[in-house]
Amino acid sequence: MILPAIPLPFYLILSTVVFSIGLLGIMTKQNGVRLLMCVELMLNSANINLVAFSSYNNDITGQVFVLFTIALAAAEAAIGFGIFMAVYRMKYRIELNDFNILRW
Amino acid sequence: MPIGDFAFLIPLLPALAFVITFFLGKKMYAGGALVPIGAITLSFVISLLITLNLLQNPDQIVAQSVDWFGAFNLGILIDPLAAVMLTMVSFVSLLIHIYSVGYMEHDKSKPRYFAETALFTCSMLGLILSDNILQMFVFWELVGLSSYLLIGFWYGKPSAASAAKKAFLTTRIGDVMFLAGIIILFSDLFAIFNGFPDNAYMLQFTEMFNHIPEIAGMSAQIFGFEVSHLTLITLLFFGGAVGKSGQFPLHVWLPDAMEGPTTVSALIHAATMVTAGVYLVARTFPMFISAPDTLIVIAYLGGFTALFAATMAIVMNDLKRVLAYSTISQLGYMMLGLGMGAVIGMEAVGLSIFHLINHAFFKALLFLCAGSVIHAVGTHDMRELGGVGKLMPITAITMLIAGLSLAGFGIPGTIIGTSGFLSKDAIIEAAFLFGEQSHNWLPYIFAIVGAFLTSAYIFRLLFMTFTGKPRTDYEGHESPSSMTVPMVILAAFSLFFGMFTTGMFSRFLGDTFNFINMNLNELATSLGNYELLHEAGHEPLIILWLPLILAVAGLLITYLIYHRRVLDFSVSRNNPVYKLIYNRYYQNEILTEGFAIKVVYEGLSLALYHIDRGINWIVNAIGSALTEAGHMFRHVQTGVVQNYATAIIAGVSLLAILVKIIMEVI
Repeated sequence: MILPAIPLPFYLILSTVVFSIGLLGIMTKQNGVRLLMCVELMLNSANINLVAFSSYNNDITGQVFVLFTIALAAAEAAIGFGIFMAVYRMKYRIELNDFNILRW
Repeated sequence: MPIGDFAFLIPLLPALAFVITFFLGKKMYAGGALVPIGAITLSFVISLLITLNLLQNPDQIVAQSVDWFGAFNLGILIDPLAAVMLTMVSFVSLLIHIYSVGYMEHDKSKPRYFAETALFTCSMLGLILSDNILQMFVFWELVGLSSYLLIGFWYGKPSAASAAKKAFLTTRIGDVMFLAGIIILFSDLFAIFNGFPDNAYMLQFTEMFNHIPEIAGMSAQIFGFEVSHLTLITLLFFGGAVGKSGQFPLHVWLPDAMEGPTTVSALIHAATMVTAGVYLVARTFPMFISAPDTLIVIAYLGGFTALFAATMAIVMNDLKRVLAYSTISQLGYMMLGLGMGAVIGMEAVGLSIFHLINHAFFKALLFLCAGSVIHAVGTHDMRELGGVGKLMPITAITMLIAGLSLAGFGIPGTIIGTSGFLSKDAIIEAAFLFGEQSHNWLPYIFAIVGAFLTSAYIFRLLFMTFTGKPRTDYEGHESPSSMTVPMVILAAFSLFFGMFTTGMFSRFLGDTFNFINMNLNELATSLGNYELLHEAGHEPLIILWLPLILAVAGLLITYLIYHRRVLDFSVSRNNPVYKLIYNRYYQNEILTEGFAIKVVYEGLSLALYHIDRGINWIVNAIGSALTEAGHMFRHVQTGVVQNYATAIIAGVSLLAILVKIIMEVI
């Protein structure tokens, strides 16, 4: 069964919504883990875009690129959690407002 | 090998002696005194042989030169003028060195003393035989340096240190003028040659003199007056001479220069330093004689200095200060003699240099005698002396001879007379002719009144020092022979040198400027617009006798006042005229305290204070503005990552919107 193709704008709207949620999370949330999750959301919104355009243009490159992005996101998450683990051992909390020592 | 080939040794030997004595003197006999004495003896012998050779063959002047840099050269020029000066300087310097062995016997830093006097002699000899004005300037500065070192020889004494500084700074004013003159001359010659000449050295005297007419043709506007470049250059040169030769108003350093050892005073006053200025004018006299305005200035300033300094000499109580003012006064006569070029043409050089040489003899002698008295008695305040003649007969007699020569005793109209008489009276007579010719009588009046005062102050000195009874307790003894022998030799010269050379001298010096192949008297008359007198000696008899009459009058008056004490001219200490003269016309107050300290020093520091504050304000304002801005903006850096992210997003959004708007507009 071939489903009728969902038009491109829907994908883009979904991607924008996901990206905005991620952005809002980055700007407002204090918890480090939530922050990383929001970063993942933003990355994945970009992935949606890439895949959508890839299918729309019949070009495989976009999907290959997504694989790279996923690998990158995994690496980034690993480093991010590593940092937060180190921070937690130091201060027993990962509220971002407490880590403002690099300032005036 | 002609003797002229050894000319380079004349300044070189004393220079070597300077090095040797300075470094090795301590280990040698008498502080290494024998090295400079030997070197200067050789210089003297070479100079004398060159002079004798020139006397026989007037065309064999020594002229050698080598490349220096650019269009300049190092060279030697010994014409009659330089030869006479070389011989005199090396001779007087030699005698003073011999005398110093005795005089400086008890001083610890003898090596330094003899090294510095050797350097002094070297620089003066180098100055005399320079064949270009640039090399002359170098030696000119060296003379200034050595005088500074020697005046401040006892640098532990604050007064000596400050006198040295004063001498250096005062002559510096003249040196700057001299240098400015050289620079103007250089630029003029540069314009005349149209660049650097290929086959000529630019600042050589020959080139300078050959281009006098062109330089005289250039003119500049100064304060609205049309001034020829030649006048300007000669005035600046004369400014240099004013500084070095202690003419008014730059004479203030000379009396203070007494702070050095007396032998140094003798060197400075007779042989090596103050004559440099007169020599500079004489050396470049072809330029001066073509600039009549400068000659008038020289005549007036020289005459005025002669009188002005003599008035001060008459009230001084310090033995050496009287002699110092006497030197200034006599230098005034020499300058006056040079200024007489306006009536007697190039003979003025002979006239003036003749007095310079005679003055060197009797003034060196006066200083050596004064040094002998000071050495024996230990004071140089004449009020404390008296009756020294009995203790020191040789000193007394030689000083009397020097005094007679200074005051000018002789028989007018003949060649019988002391050296000083023959040369000074010739200058005074020339001043009379000058007055008659140009109706400028002031130089003559200055000179003749100065002659009376000269006699008065020197006999006052002699009577106060050598006759009567001692005014304080002291014990004296005649000086050792190393001191008296030079004195006796100099006394013989002060007495007889003039008689033997008077006619010959001006003839000999008349050949000085033959090497440039120009008739300078014609040049002078054409550029200067004056008539030269071709025969002298038609003055009224009274003019011939007047200097002698005044000299005798001076002798008699001082005899009556200071020896017989029948006349009493003593005035109260508060007499305004006495106070004015005794305080040296308040020159120190006016020049040092009024001008130097009040105007220059305080004015400068006030101006600098305000400038400094202005600059400070600007710098501080910039600094504090930036600091304030930093304080304001640093609050942006919260350290919270999210704020930065927000800022980035806001920025990117703004950029996107801007790009959009711009695209729409375009």
